[in-house]
Amino acid sequence: MKRIVVDPITRIEGHLRVELKIDEATGKVQDALSSGTAWRGIELILKDRDPRDAWAFVQRICGVCTTVHALASLRSVEDALGIEIPKNANYMRNIMNATQTAQDHLVHFYHLHALDWVSPVEALKADPAATAALQNVVLEKYALPLSGPMDFNFDAYPKDFPKATTAYYKAVQGKVKQIVESGQLGIFAAHWWDHPDYQLLPPEVHLMAVGHYLNMLDRQRELVGSHVVFGGKNPHPHYIVGGMPCSISMNDMNAPVNSERLAVVDQSIMLAINLVNYFYLPDLLAIGHMYVQKGYVDGGGLAKERVLGYGDFPDEPYTGIANGDYHKKLLFRCNGVVENFGKGLEAAVYHELAGKDYADPAILAEGVEHSWYTYPQAGKDLHPWDGVTAQNFTGPKEGSKTEWKYLDESGKYSWLKTPKWKGKMAEVGPLARYIVIYTKVKKGVIKPTWAEKMAVDQIDAVSKVLGLPPEVWMPTMVGRTAIRGLEAQLNAYINKYYFDKLVKNIRSGDTAVANTVKWEPSSWAKTAKGVGLHEAPRGALGHWVVIKDGKIDNYQAIVPSTWNACPRDSKAGYGAYEASMIDTKVKVADKPLEILKTIHSFDPCLACATHLYDAEGKEVGVVHTDPYFKG
Amino acid sequence: MENNDSMWALFQKRGVSRRSFLKTCAVVTGMLGLAPSMLPEVVAAAEKKTLPPVIWLHGHECTGCDESFIRSQSPLASDVVLNMISLEYSDTLSAAAGEAFEHHLKDVMKKYAGQYILAVEGGVPLADNGIHCMAGGRTFLTALKEAAAGAAAIIEYGSCAAWGGVQAAKPNPTKSVAVSDVITGKPIVKVPGCPPIPEVMTAVVMHFALFGQLPPLDAQGRPKQFYGNRIHDTCYRRPFFDSGMFVEKFDDAGAKAGWCLYKVGCRGPVAYNSCGNMRWWNGLSYPIQSGAPCFGCASNNFWDNGPFYERLPNIPVPGTIADADKVGMVAAGAAVVGVVAHGALSAMQKSKQAKQQDTDVRGPEA
Repeated sequence: MKRIVVDPITRIEGHLRVELKIDEATGKVQDALSSGTAWRGIELILKDRDPRDAWAFVQRICGVCTTVHALASLRSVEDALGIEIPKNANYMRNIMNATQTAQDHLVHFYHLHALDWVSPVEALKADPAATAALQNVVLEKYALPLSGPMDFNFDAYPKDFPKATTAYYKAVQGKVKQIVESGQLGIFAAHWWDHPDYQLLPPEVHLMAVGHYLNMLDRQRELVGSHVVFGGKNPHPHYIVGGMPCSISMNDMNAPVNSERLAVVDQSIMLAINLVNYFYLPDLLAIGHMYVQKGYVDGGGLAKERVLGYGDFPDEPYTGIANGDYHKKLLFRCNGVVENFGKGLEAAVYHELAGKDYADPAILAEGVEHSWYTYPQAGKDLHPWDGVTAQNFTGPKEGSKTEWKYLDESGKYSWLKTPKWKGKMAEVGPLARYIVIYTKVKKGVIKPTWAEKMAVDQIDAVSKVLGLPPEVWMPTMVGRTAIRGLEAQLNAYINKYYFDKLVKNIRSGDTAVANTVKWEPSSWAKTAKGVGLHEAPRGALGHWVVIKDGKIDNYQAIVPSTWNACPRDSKAGYGAYEASMIDTKVKVADKPLEILKTIHSFDPCLACATHLYDAEGKEVGVVHTDPYFKG
Repeated sequence: MENNDSMWALFQKRGVSRRSFLKTCAVVTGMLGLAPSMLPEVVAAAEKKTLPPVIWLHGHECTGCDESFIRSQSPLASDVVLNMISLEYSDTLSAAAGEAFEHHLKDVMKKYAGQYILAVEGGVPLADNGIHCMAGGRTFLTALKEAAAGAAAIIEYGSCAAWGGVQAAKPNPTKSVAVSDVITGKPIVKVPGCPPIPEVMTAVVMHFALFGQLPPLDAQGRPKQFYGNRIHDTCYRRPFFDSGMFVEKFDDAGAKAGWCLYKVGCRGPVAYNSCGNMRWWNGLSYPIQSGAPCFGCASNNFWDNGPFYERLPNIPVPGTIADADKVGMVAAGAAVVGVVAHGALSAMQKSKQAKQQDTDVRGPEA
């Protein structure tokens, strides 16, 4: 038995540590621990601030998921204050949301995940001519020719195709050779390139993927057009409570949004469709297929047992979330919990999750049994509106508080809390969303919208390519990564769908982007509570806000990576990261590349996951030496 | 900074021919006691150029600065990371992880002691000896101090590294501070912003690649090229400010016409950054152009500088003795004519859009 620590886990957002107990003889992971090792206290900072500013503060929880907390925050404040936003603002936010998901997923695959599968060292062994030939085969075999509705298609021809020439791959290989021989490996330095898993794919796949890694590093920036046009920048575009700040006018020369601005957004949307269809998906499915053929269907963990979603893309403005209207208007109704999908569709059980459920402490709550916090009543989990937390850093099992050797899996070991649905653990994310949609549609719970139908068609198409039923390939490490790619394709088309709706609505004469009737705090109720939901790239995200006398009294977020990366619970068992690591076979104990793959398949975002709020407003003992601190 | 030119590059600079270079390599091969068959290796080594090594650490941050960095158009992030510098340590982009990665960090710090650039993203939490940010089982505070010791220069990327950032906003529960509050006695470049403009981030590296030295800095340690002017002074909406034409409420006629956002909270008059002249996404837009008031996200302590939508007090409007509250009440000459004309235009718009709520456009009679 060997205890292995991987800290820092790189190519993620934030600070994550994992510890594993591995049986070296069998490669079996006996136990695994996931710890979020940083805490910033953003929610504490929100107390007593103007609710209209909250989106900007919480947006800075994460710059990779740059819009997601802003959007969830706006929705929670608007839910609390009873603000219905104009149609254009709803479409713009949906566009920014779909933009984020498509771009974020693409960057994740190439720049945060790909180096677990492909290696520049292996790429040096490739034959450039054979790589060019392979590129053609991959495009033929693994393109997924599905699409969403398009009313305004001004794209004359598909502008971005992978290059399939010998000369191109020669040049890429030459560059890689130069880096390797220079002795300055830079971002490729010190990795476990000698791991046997890098031999699973032929060298030509490595060269093709490294070429695309570089190509997409330069192109991903062009996908965020909608954020820059509607929100002024990316990362961290601007919004306002009540809608959007970017007024529309076809009569003013200086308007934030006009025909030319819409053209920029459209072009960016079309580029995403291109890159996802011709680069991302074929690469992903080709690599995934090879892995599945070689029997790599582990790393599923909790996904087989329980997944959870909240639903997103309100097709039209809604009057509130807690009142149930939001869930009546959604394009993508992945709200709900599905249990036992790993046993097949027949055995899978669907549970509804909508409207008032989000205000119910019996349904959603967080515990701190293994987190560095204490609750007033030990063992009693709390709903976010009543969240009470005080820091209680107990340090590691071995080592000192500032120099850790091993964390204490039997005690407290993470800055993450443990969120639960009806007292149980659940996995969230693209895979969870697709499992919920697939189950709901196939079991006849919902009559599918075009987007829901496309998701089901994607799953069926990939099942055909792999020659395996969904319950076998989906709840696995490979499946989690593959579904993310499918979702990028779906979101690229959702983006276009809402762009077309926006154009049609402006055409009808409606140019409103903000509802400012309740802009002034004097128009608000003395006390108000709201919930804001959003399906962020990494999974179900909820913000809960309590507003008192025009100020934030309580703010709490339960974020996707908290659901997935949370510490264990004596009653509820393991969270998604820990369960999936235990479900992963490791070949070389001190080079657990498979663990990196499994953890990366979740696309971790730890800055999101670590937070704290003290609803009592109890002073956290801090001595300020910051000269700029105005206490 | 030491000269990073290869031997071949030096020969070229001095106009010496390739033939002479190869002859020299042959001599060097002999001098080193190597067999003549080793000549190609010696030539290759002499042609090699060492790229400036960069270590990029993450403290209390959101990774938005990394994301911004890879949004750069000129230069592209790939060119920076693979050809201008050698990014030897980055939580976000590096392939390696865990112990091997930490070991590599120590190697780089030793091998390039006194030569590497340290880029830092994020604030430094000091509470409880820094336990609120751990990496590799150690505090970020410890890692930062170690890495800073051998750095030739330090770049504070983003408002968190430069000022403490969002986690340092009141009540600053983790007692987060700027890098320069912890590290002294080193050349430090502040590149604030939340995040900074992508091209500003890469330009600092580009400047170094082009001129072999850090860019000229202002009194606060920021590159003068990018933080020398207020947004207000480079803003295309400035004429509207000068004419007293303001957005009074989001999405009113003034907002549609792209008037000045000062009255809905714009911090442009006190914000030093390149948004107005360079803009984002290679000149496409910036918050003001998209109708959003500037937060002053590159300014120290902007999070605690009052609610974002409350206007700055006492910013005098040129050509008048009044501030914006009074403009429209006093005779502001030509400015008023402009307001009247636009007011009339807005009234026409209003009649076209019955759905639009009442707007509050100031005319001289207001």
